[in-house]
Amino acid sequence: MKPLGAPMFAAAEQPAPRFAQQAAPARNRVRILALSIFAVLLLLAGRAVQLAFAGDPLAEPRRAASAPAPLARADIVDRNGVLLATTVRAYALTAAPQRVWNAGETADALRRVFPDLDRATLLRRLGDRERRQVYLRRGLTPNQREQVTALGLGGIGFVAEDRRAYPQGALAAHVLGFTDVDLNPLAGVERGLDGAIRAGGEHGRAVALSLDVRVQYALEEELDRAARAAGASGGAAILLDGRNGETLALASWPSFDPNAAGAAAETARRDRVAGGGRELGSTMKPFTLAMALEERVTTGAEVFDVSMPFDIDGAAITDHERILGPVGLREILARSSNIGAARLALRVGAARQRTYLERLGLTAPAALEIGRNQAPIAPDTRGRRDVAGRGFGYGLAATPAALAGAYTVFVNDGARVAPTLRLRGEDEAVERAPVFAPATARQVLFYLRGAVTNGTGRAADVPGLAVAGKTGTAEIWGGAQGYDQSRNFSSFAGVFPANEPRYVIVLALDEVGEAGGATAAPAVARTLRRIAPMLGLRVEAQSE
Amino acid sequence: MAQAGLRRAVTGCAVIVIILLAVGLYRAKSDAARTEADVRALERQIAETEDELRALRAEIAHLESPQRVETLARQHLDVAVGSEAAALPEDAMDRRLPAPRSP
Repeated sequence: MKPLGAPMFAAAEQPAPRFAQQAAPARNRVRILALSIFAVLLLLAGRAVQLAFAGDPLAEPRRAASAPAPLARADIVDRNGVLLATTVRAYALTAAPQRVWNAGETADALRRVFPDLDRATLLRRLGDRERRQVYLRRGLTPNQREQVTALGLGGIGFVAEDRRAYPQGALAAHVLGFTDVDLNPLAGVERGLDGAIRAGGEHGRAVALSLDVRVQYALEEELDRAARAAGASGGAAILLDGRNGETLALASWPSFDPNAAGAAAETARRDRVAGGGRELGSTMKPFTLAMALEERVTTGAEVFDVSMPFDIDGAAITDHERILGPVGLREILARSSNIGAARLALRVGAARQRTYLERLGLTAPAALEIGRNQAPIAPDTRGRRDVAGRGFGYGLAATPAALAGAYTVFVNDGARVAPTLRLRGEDEAVERAPVFAPATARQVLFYLRGAVTNGTGRAADVPGLAVAGKTGTAEIWGGAQGYDQSRNFSSFAGVFPANEPRYVIVLALDEVGEAGGATAAPAVARTLRRIAPMLGLRVEAQSE
Repeated sequence: MAQAGLRRAVTGCAVIVIILLAVGLYRAKSDAARTEADVRALERQIAETEDELRALRAEIAHLESPQRVETLARQHLDVAVGSEAAALPEDAMDRRLPAPRSP
């Protein structure tokens, strides 16, 4: 092998040619090695230059799986898949105070995009140079983010976060509830079904409610109309499929927009269906009749004289309008006789009355998945006045949700089904708790129909729909002043269609001057006319 | 002498093979890294698209809300959604139809 370059020892003295020849291969190896090292170093240098300009793709953190990132909270949909709540991308507006050049100018620029930001607070946060990052505002939309980016402010940045959005606005606000900015549930099914919503988010599965937004909207609108017309301080309404307990609509008035729940008044955020209890008044009378019939302390053929006030331990029970002549159970209910109901309640007795009220679910909080169900005020009393009072709806404060649950006995041949907001599976068993015998329930249902055709609930009648129900007008307890006749909890509770009962509706107005038959009953009729086609029921056209 | 030449040739070949393997390994690793980066970019894009999709679904739900539809129906079509007019019993049709004309 010949040396690659000129001999190293060419200029050296002559005696070394043999040695030089022997050393030539070694020199070549050294050169090759040097060239190789140089090539490797060149490669490394080239790679370093590439990394400097392009970055190392391997430097990014690796994710274990390529599956999409799970959501913190699942979508909530109604029974038809209409979106009620979802989680959308939002941004938190942040600042690095040490990189903010001029806090005053930055604050003024930000307030042009967000006029509601407080300047003094902004200046304080932007000037807090001990902190590396401060939050200025949460829940920015992508458009707002672009607006801020366009300002070109130094030291201002964004942190991606999730935000809960309620695309239906105020519709079903009390059912859905709301979360805080960190998506922690605060009210409604957001709280009541928190576990299912979180699990659904992890698996990309929506949580379906039993609500129907079309029915919900009709009920809310009619409740709003009735509450405004009556000058009510609040209103509540609930519509159930009484056979399986599914809640088709649930409305509280006044309402609020859960997208801006923080800005809503406390009274607007208050759920009055499951979260507000009142003495229910005459809507309890059907149960008193059913108890008396079930315990065989009366019959459908018995007649009563309720023309004179009924004195119990010095307290006189009267009717709103004096009822002359002998009346049967049908008239007692149709004309809402307190005297008749009180007499029947006394025959039933305290212990049996209490047992029936427990079975009807009126002495325990409703189990609606709505975050907070108010416990009823149901003291265990045995005085004759208390027992008689409970016979026509006093001495027991329960929620409209509990009342609706109790009325399911007239749909299920005497068995009670608990209301729920979950959409039940087709094969899911429905728990029915027997309260009355089927014959008793049907007999009282017949009386309830009479209360609508010929009684205090006439305004709730919808031709073609066979509504059966009872009005309620409970004076509100005013503390030391006693019951206030000018402030009533006026309501209507009923089932329809009476010939094949399926649905239960309760509508109540708080602190109104007029009776349930004049306020709640007409609102129920208007609601039923609107929703009947949605439920596959036919009504006759109103006379033109 | 021949043996030494053979050894050199084998050594040279081995060096070349090793260099080729090293270059191949380097390229394979670079390609894998690039592909992984592409996958991550696609995943980011999917996540962003899903975010946009959720926002669009929310907007659709808002636009289709009963309140908005009913308001528009009243404004532009002069009809009320969900009223009893939407479902009438058969006998009611007679009252609404025009009177029959004689042939």
